[in-house]
Amino acid sequence: MTTTNPNPNTPGPVAIPVTGLGQREHANQLKSSSAPTQPALEAKAIAKSYVIGGQARPVLDGIDFHVDPGECVFLAGPSGSGKTTLLSILGLLLTSDSGQLFLKDRRVDGLNEVERTLVRRQRIGFVFQRFQLINGLTAEDNVAIPLTMDGMPMREARDRAGDLLCRMGLQDHCKALPTSMSPGQCQRVALARAVINEPELILADEPTAALDGKSGKAVMELLHQLTKEFASSTVVVTHDPRIYEYADRICEMENGRFK
Amino acid sequence: MRWNLAYRTLLHDRGKLIAGLVGVIFSVVLVNLQGGLFFGLINKASLLVDRSNADIWIGHRGMHNVDFPHGIPERFRFVVAGVEGVAEVEPIRIGFGEISLPDGRFEDCVIVGVTEGTDLGRAYEVLEGQEDALQYPDGIVVDRCDDAKLVHPEIGEIREINGRRVRVMGKSEGILSFLVSPYVFMSYDQAVELSTEDPQNASYLLVRTENDSDPGQICRQIESLLPDVSAMPAGRYGRVSIHFWMTRAGLGVSFGAAAMLGLLVGLVMVGQTLYAMVLDRISEYATLRAIGLSERELLCILGLQSALVATIGIAIGMVITVILKTSLSTPRVTIEIPLMLYVGCGVLIFAICLFAAGLPYLRVRRIDPHTALQS
Ligand SMILES: Nc1ncnc2c1ncn2[C@@H]1O[C@H](COP(=O)(O)OP(=O)(O)O)[C@@H](O)[C@H]1O
Ligand SMILES: [Mg+2]
Repeated sequence: MTTTNPNPNTPGPVAIPVTGLGQREHANQLKSSSAPTQPALEAKAIAKSYVIGGQARPVLDGIDFHVDPGECVFLAGPSGSGKTTLLSILGLLLTSDSGQLFLKDRRVDGLNEVERTLVRRQRIGFVFQRFQLINGLTAEDNVAIPLTMDGMPMREARDRAGDLLCRMGLQDHCKALPTSMSPGQCQRVALARAVINEPELILADEPTAALDGKSGKAVMELLHQLTKEFASSTVVVTHDPRIYEYADRICEMENGRFK
Repeated sequence: MRWNLAYRTLLHDRGKLIAGLVGVIFSVVLVNLQGGLFFGLINKASLLVDRSNADIWIGHRGMHNVDFPHGIPERFRFVVAGVEGVAEVEPIRIGFGEISLPDGRFEDCVIVGVTEGTDLGRAYEVLEGQEDALQYPDGIVVDRCDDAKLVHPEIGEIREINGRRVRVMGKSEGILSFLVSPYVFMSYDQAVELSTEDPQNASYLLVRTENDSDPGQICRQIESLLPDVSAMPAGRYGRVSIHFWMTRAGLGVSFGAAAMLGLLVGLVMVGQTLYAMVLDRISEYATLRAIGLSERELLCILGLQSALVATIGIAIGMVITVILKTSLSTPRVTIEIPLMLYVGCGVLIFAICLFAAGLPYLRVRRIDPHTALQS
């Protein structure tokens, strides 16, 4: 992989001491054409209901939703309004009862479990509210997981993970176990794990809910920077108004619909 | 990566790792020692045959246990001596007797009468007393391991067997009967005198064959000449004697059951440890599934962990087994662990550990990656 950077809007390799992080072609696409672009993610008429106490209760009620390439969309709304459920469906962790889902031009609803796993691995990065790091692995090894899953040798993956962690201000914690790090540091490690593969779509469920205001902002700042750099599209579920400034667009949900 | 994940998460949880290892080690040691005791005991059933220096044993038709002979005419030896390939024939007499103890009590014993001037049937080696103990008119040889039963006979001490005077002239070590009764060696003539059975009969005829001859062929020839006898190569008669105790006394079943129990305990311990480990990490596994680890890769990690626990456990277990074996094995309670037992036990337990990974497998299969988002 080269480190040449054809896009002047993102920092070059000098500013980013991360080697091997290439650019994706849709970054150019975003900047070069203002013609109607194909959305990075498009959901049509998504419906989902849970059976509770023998009764089907609709949680999502015919949702239409899209994210443009490089866009950062926030999903806001009261607790229980279906934000996490929607995010799970977008991330192929959950199947909808009806509706269609496209990742770029690939239709991804109706895939079987093995195919969905592969799509998640190759095209989607996840950030969780409770970080969800592997406790037995060092920060570096946690970040290296997505690379090694794709077959990169451990040593190389570790080097790249270490570089990315340095960039996130965690150079002293590469070999630390998650239990010895603060929540803010953990979430930064989790963020690194989500972006190291340069996925085209990043999904974050309340990434700042478990953090204090300052570390929450730091995490969002990093997320913003990295997604711009890799031209990833982002969906962030949150009801933390302090971070709304990072959104390109905010969609508010209520009772399984957009307001 | 799988390897990294497998062993790191395993090592991260020392407590559970140790619990799993204890299960494996326990199984290995238990099965090996059970098996070793079994082989040690059962091999005594053929000890007399194994050490007799004879190539062929000839006894009454249907002979099935070296300690329970039925007499055959001693003069058959002249027929046997004429068979081609036979280098030497000697009779041996094995029968029950009662030996007097210093305090006036009696102890049952097995009298073994062997002829002089040959080593056929001379299963003992004198370690204490006279090398030529049986040359003395009333000399006998007893075993050190039976000292307690015979109330510590001294060399030169006078005892009575079946009402006749005998003198302890030598002691061997490790010639023990499978029965509880001690072996007492004496000269063939004396054994004939002490016994109430037909003096014309021998218990067995022992044959040494010529070097290049085929014992099986000779046996067939002897049996065709003497229809009332069975003739077997020594190895085979040893196995027949062992088989007698295995089946008649149900020893195989009881020892086998104990060994199975050891395996079962190990299986349960390893299985439940792995299961507990997985339960602890369900949320981590769900996360891995969410970020794209396939079910197969996850199972592969579980399998690796099982294999790792098994390998370490088996290695430690073998070391402990060897230590226990060398420190606990005595001639009376012999622990004999053939290589096959070590290997078989190791392979079996390894397989069982992989099988034990099946329990957490069932749980892992039900992991919903969606739950990673729901904490
Ligand atoms: N696995 C489930 N089984 C039953 N009901 C569920 C399940 N997951 C979520 N729900 C219900 O769906 C609704 C929406 O949940 P969720 O998407 O988590 O909301 P939000 O993330 O906006 O707080 C809630 O009322 C919740 O009780
Ligand atoms: Mg939620």
